[in-house]
Amino acid sequence: MKIDKRRLYHLDWYLIINGLAIFAIGIFNLISATSSFYSGSYNFIMKQFIAFGIGLVLIVVIIQYDYKVIAEHSKWFYAAGLFFIVLVLGIGMAAGGAKRWINIFGISIQPSEFMKPILVLFLANMLYQRKRENIPLGLRDIGLPMLYIIIPFILIVKQPDLGTGIIVVLVSLSILWLVGLKKSTYAVLMSFGAIIPFVAWSYLLKPYQKMRVLSFINIDADPSGFGYHAKQAMIAVGSGKLIGKGYMSGTQHKLQFIPEHHTDFIFTVIGEEWGFIGSIILFLLFVSFIYRCLKIAQEAHDELGSIIAFGLASIIYLQFTINVMMAIHLAPVVGIPLPFISYGGSSLVSILASVGLLLNISMRRYMF
Amino acid sequence: MEGATQAPIIERDKKLDNFTKEDKSAINSKYKWCRRLLVFTVIILCIRLWDLQIMKGNEMRKLSEQNRIRVKKVIAPRGIMYDKNGKILADTRPSFNMYVTPEDIKDFNQTIDGLAKLLDLDREEIINKLKAASGFPPSFPVKIKPDISMDEVAKVEANRVYLPGVSIQIEPKRNYPYGKMMAHMLGYVSEISDEEIKAKEFKSYSLGDFIGRYGLERAYESQLRGVDGEKRVEVDAMGREVRTLEIKDSTPGNSLYLNINLEIQTAVEKAYDGKKGGCIAVEPKTGAVVALLSRPAFDPNKFAGGISKEDWKAIITDKTHPLQNRVTQGRYPPGSTFKIVSALKALDEGIINERTSFTCRGGFPFGKRVFKCWKKGGHGTVAVHRGIVESCDIFFYNVGLKLGVDRIHEMADAIGLGKTTGIDLPGEKNGLVPSSEWKKKTYGEQWYEGETVSVSIGQGAVWLTPVQLLQLSAFVANDGVTFKPQIVNRIVSPEGKTLKTFEPVMNSNAKLKKETVRIVKEGMWGVVNEPSGTAHGSRLQTVSMSGKTGTAQSVGEKGKNLGDHAWFIAYAPAEEPAIAISVLVEYGGHGASIAAPIAKLITENLYKPKVEIKEARAYENR
Repeated sequence: MKIDKRRLYHLDWYLIINGLAIFAIGIFNLISATSSFYSGSYNFIMKQFIAFGIGLVLIVVIIQYDYKVIAEHSKWFYAAGLFFIVLVLGIGMAAGGAKRWINIFGISIQPSEFMKPILVLFLANMLYQRKRENIPLGLRDIGLPMLYIIIPFILIVKQPDLGTGIIVVLVSLSILWLVGLKKSTYAVLMSFGAIIPFVAWSYLLKPYQKMRVLSFINIDADPSGFGYHAKQAMIAVGSGKLIGKGYMSGTQHKLQFIPEHHTDFIFTVIGEEWGFIGSIILFLLFVSFIYRCLKIAQEAHDELGSIIAFGLASIIYLQFTINVMMAIHLAPVVGIPLPFISYGGSSLVSILASVGLLLNISMRRYMF
Repeated sequence: MEGATQAPIIERDKKLDNFTKEDKSAINSKYKWCRRLLVFTVIILCIRLWDLQIMKGNEMRKLSEQNRIRVKKVIAPRGIMYDKNGKILADTRPSFNMYVTPEDIKDFNQTIDGLAKLLDLDREEIINKLKAASGFPPSFPVKIKPDISMDEVAKVEANRVYLPGVSIQIEPKRNYPYGKMMAHMLGYVSEISDEEIKAKEFKSYSLGDFIGRYGLERAYESQLRGVDGEKRVEVDAMGREVRTLEIKDSTPGNSLYLNINLEIQTAVEKAYDGKKGGCIAVEPKTGAVVALLSRPAFDPNKFAGGISKEDWKAIITDKTHPLQNRVTQGRYPPGSTFKIVSALKALDEGIINERTSFTCRGGFPFGKRVFKCWKKGGHGTVAVHRGIVESCDIFFYNVGLKLGVDRIHEMADAIGLGKTTGIDLPGEKNGLVPSSEWKKKTYGEQWYEGETVSVSIGQGAVWLTPVQLLQLSAFVANDGVTFKPQIVNRIVSPEGKTLKTFEPVMNSNAKLKKETVRIVKEGMWGVVNEPSGTAHGSRLQTVSMSGKTGTAQSVGEKGKNLGDHAWFIAYAPAEEPAIAISVLVEYGGHGASIAAPIAKLITENLYKPKVEIKEARAYENR
């Protein structure tokens, strides 16, 4: 299989360079986040680069096939994804009270990360096929898709990984919105949406998750637990002031005042060390990246490509927004990685695979 | 393969070519909304960042600094106390103190219960200590247990991970190598109390600080204390020190060089084994205190390590009052030693002369009472010399009556009896030598001559401390001049620079007639050196000691007679006195047989200074 030179020419270099820029910032930042004042461990950086390499290979593979073909096969990916998620619940490794990883040949993988783009592909394909003649989808049209959304959602939340679960639902809903639903269907969905928080609070959320929500509302409610972490994260970002404390000089994370500062709370390291200016630069890079994704979605060759690209853009947008909001106390603490930046192989490979799909859609936009 | 899969898709595309113009515009408007949402979200994020980093930036930076930087106290070692020859009497040694920093506690019950279990402490006790520190910032470490053992250190260190907030600091601890020896003189230190810390005078102290409580530790607190230093350390979220940013060293307290001679002190301590009472020896020409002792004693080391409740209770409820310094605070009837006062006054006033004599038949009828002499058969005809040497009571009854109480009081006052001597120990008590004026003031009654009879031999309402009787001995030895007893010779800075040398301070300077002094001195020489002298058994071959015995009837509690107090005041050598001594053995019996040998021992040691220091160690280990 050889790459068509014309298609290579149509590769979206803007997206690639923008993504690389964010990743480069991420790696530099990760070096600081994973080293103490005295010693650094390059183990994390090595693993992140390996994941990056795997991601690049995956991009190259993905752009070989027409995204329509990939979408056609999405039910197999979906099945595999579900299989691994169930496997996690069975034989998964626990870390920090949650079973989110499975160990395959010594590599720990977080299947829920991969489920996000897979679900986008699967839903896009399904809805694309269901949509006929520009008629908005009714309740009967989305019944089955809703089931396909809810199954992985419940399994992921059970791990428990509320953050990824929320992303799965929000991304699915945004896809439904893009495809277009009947007004009555929106009404039904919205009334369900109104009930869900109450049901979740009473039956689904674990005590510690409730505590997170409570400590978000009143940060001093739990000064030694989540409230403490949220507060320390806020202090870290705030203490960066205009230009930050300088690279490798963030005391809040280096002295362990912030838990998970290399994964979910990675933004606190940027905020503390690079200050307002550094954070704004990062924001601009993300905005530009997401803009580009939306552009790809808008200019896609067909609606299938459009939906897929839009779904992937939503993943990146939602993860970026919620992750940053969490660090600056605009959202409760949930485990959501910052794309390209947070440490974690599965997350990075999943994001790069999404980039692969976006490049795929972008380079085939003039195809007839 | 590629061709095979491509065909149906193209076919489907044709069938579902759904990108019509209307469709495009509907979708375009959705994307427009998406972009608006994106910009809106980022603006929200930027506003929040502006608020946190720019508006509240300084406050947040301060909070992050407070998180990481702790100011820890570097405790200054207390000044060292040396004896005259540079032997250490009190120093400091490193000790491990356990602290809890409330701010670093993650799970209160886990830390408190864990500690209580590991160190066998009372949970309530820990909580009370933390409560006492509630007025301090939560980053202030609270001392929970001072001076923990190496075993306990190991236990705590091994469990540090489960005990966030617990830390062990190596800090100097007061150490008294000779234990109970000199306890009343050196004193002790203990932790400042929660109440004291609130008082103005202790405002330079903070919780957990040690403060001199007794003896020299208290009298010279400001010199011994030193200036604590500061260490700015960076700590992590567990409160563990990560690195030291800045150290301001502590300045050790100034050292005290005492006039005490450890060899003599050791000999006296040994002589007092099993006895109660007090003893002080000074150089009469300067007031320099050579030895000072009070029994029963306590171990000051127990206080320095944070005394336990039981130990403290045992000390304060002890009926023998081990915390009382008998030398400066114990008031006793002086007994026959007081006869010297009567003799001095009578001779100096010319009421009697060397040849004035009275007849002693063993009894002295006065009013309705018969006052007895200690010698049943009587002394016969007695003049002042024999009166002193053989301590004839009848002679002094007559002298006393001739003098009258007010003239006795006058002489006692000139010597400094009944008044504090100004010795550099806190809490010195005055005593009492009565006068008619005093009786009028206190009881509103006139003085009866019968009372004068008792006073003339040191009984009745005469109450003196051993240090005051020492002044009497020094007064005679020094021909009417006394100096303030001074324990500390000089204050020396940690660098070895002498900051202050205590010059002798004259207490009294009575212009006595030479004749008076000669007669009394000869009498006191005779007490020890003449065969009939009451203390003849304590004479020395090497050096001639002069003295006066006293056997004071004690007014026992609830009328119970526990025995007499044995007194002996002395100076030596008789010709050129270099030491004055006052010995009291509480309920000891006869001054001659119990107290005088102790004075002998002191003099002996001073003029044969070959006491093995090993003995001191042996005593300490006992």
